[in-house]
Amino acid sequence: MEGSFLELTKLTALMAAEKIRKREISVIELTNAYLARIDELNGAIGAYITVCAEQALRQAESVQKKLDGRENILPLAGIPAGIKDNICTRDVKTTCASKMLDNFFPPYDAAVIEKLSESNVVILGKLNMDEFAMGSSNENSWYMPVKNPWDHERVPGGSSGGAAAAVASHMSCFALGSDTGGSIRQPASFCGVVGLKPTYGAVSRFGLIAFASSLDQIGPITRDVADCALVMNVIAGHDPLDSTSVDIEYPDYTTFLKNDVKGLKIGLPKEYFGSGLHEEVKAKILDAAKAYESYGAIIEEISLPFTEYAIPAYYIISSAEASSNLARYDGIKYGYRAKEYSDIIDLYKKTRSEGFGTEVKRRIMLGTYALSSGYYDAYYKKALKVRRLIFEDFQKAYQKVDVILGPTSPVTAFKIGEKTANPLEMYLSDVYTVSVNIAGLCAISLPCGFDSKGLPVGMQLIGKPFDEGTLIRAAYTYESNTGKSGVTNCGI
Amino acid sequence: MSISKTEIEKLAKLAKLSFSDEELERFTAEFDEIIAFADTINQSIEGGTEEIRNVGARMVSFDDLRADEVMPSLPNEKILSNVEGYNGFFSVERSKK
Repeated sequence: MEGSFLELTKLTALMAAEKIRKREISVIELTNAYLARIDELNGAIGAYITVCAEQALRQAESVQKKLDGRENILPLAGIPAGIKDNICTRDVKTTCASKMLDNFFPPYDAAVIEKLSESNVVILGKLNMDEFAMGSSNENSWYMPVKNPWDHERVPGGSSGGAAAAVASHMSCFALGSDTGGSIRQPASFCGVVGLKPTYGAVSRFGLIAFASSLDQIGPITRDVADCALVMNVIAGHDPLDSTSVDIEYPDYTTFLKNDVKGLKIGLPKEYFGSGLHEEVKAKILDAAKAYESYGAIIEEISLPFTEYAIPAYYIISSAEASSNLARYDGIKYGYRAKEYSDIIDLYKKTRSEGFGTEVKRRIMLGTYALSSGYYDAYYKKALKVRRLIFEDFQKAYQKVDVILGPTSPVTAFKIGEKTANPLEMYLSDVYTVSVNIAGLCAISLPCGFDSKGLPVGMQLIGKPFDEGTLIRAAYTYESNTGKSGVTNCGI
Repeated sequence: MSISKTEIEKLAKLAKLSFSDEELERFTAEFDEIIAFADTINQSIEGGTEEIRNVGARMVSFDDLRADEVMPSLPNEKILSNVEGYNGFFSVERSKK
């Protein structure tokens, strides 16, 4: 029995859905297989904060009933998924991995959750993350750090560390994460799975607990590129409840699953291959570029001159927005409330000081500083100017090339505790991902091999706004020719 | 640029946060390093470039606004279900004695 469970959790969403459609497996069997897997592994990996076993089984039964005797079955019907714990789920605890929201039960579903439910996806539970999505290692969770499934002494990346670890270790068929400065792509890279950060405005943020509203975007973490396209088909689209959601026609992303990059112009930004990039990672990315050339793509060197200012601009803008967004946590309306206080100001201060962790406080302080009188022009306004320059860098690059290829992270998964003493060093590890959010572009991270320690290396393809299709086509071509994703053989 | 403990205390007050002496010491040192790094942004450009707040933002005219129609919404009890000790009021300790 256990053996067959393991086999079921190895299936990608596309493969499992096919078996469900052909009645070879039932939604209940598949859900049980995942729950058994979570039971077996979650204690060691810490990917889930909340497992909704009973609810998932009830949902599985009801989905199976709906499917019985029906011919037209939606592509993801019956597929079990995990959800990052900053995406609101009605009556299911949604914590943002913070003590502040340890008792928060949202009264409504996020737009993406409604869409998954309408597509008959089964929700397994809520995934661990860095507190309020602030971090690159998942060590900032109030509950527990997540372990990298490939090496339990290493971080899974962050902030969607639980999501990437769950998908890599087969505790979830796919997951939804969120990406403010790399939080989908970097953990996908560290855990050897596929992660897509959609264009700003392509996926509704309604019900995503805000960190930095002009940068946040929800996206899929999957085993392979085909699953990524399937999930995008469900979650992308206009939503009047999110004023930044863009009202355009969204394509069927599966039509881009083509093994063909002939004539595709791929740019390699010289700034992404300089000092700080680990030699082994660099070699893998350059190998991938060569592979693309052999498939008929045209490789060209490009320049993104303002790259070096992306991290300071990102940390100023995101912290400024966070300091404003997180002002709502005052202990009155919902969330943690301090037990003893002398007056209302003391209540606010104690609630916030006891409820937030160190990194969240650090960002609130940095944001408050950047927005405070006397510093606003020097930091916040300046960062917004740099934002335009970075945006223009990409616009110029896209006059020459169709997509940009580079590393997702300068290093592979680092050891737990290795960077916690130095917050700045942690910030610098986001060097290749933050520009994408600053410029509102889309980007995908996909596995491109292993380093000498056996840890996954991820490469990043960056696309024009709303050109996820080209990313999917390019990623699918690489995957089809190399077989380097879809296999998450992390030894467990 | 160096940041003093007094400045950190002022920021903490603005952000409605409080720190122990030990936390404050550590924070000041870390903050100094982070601000020095944030300062590198000031080497990027001089003057002129236009700011961009939100890359996806569209200009919306008053003609584009949707009609102000009543839509279904959640009942008050549901919305307020996360309030600690809610009984028709947000109850907190007296702040004026």
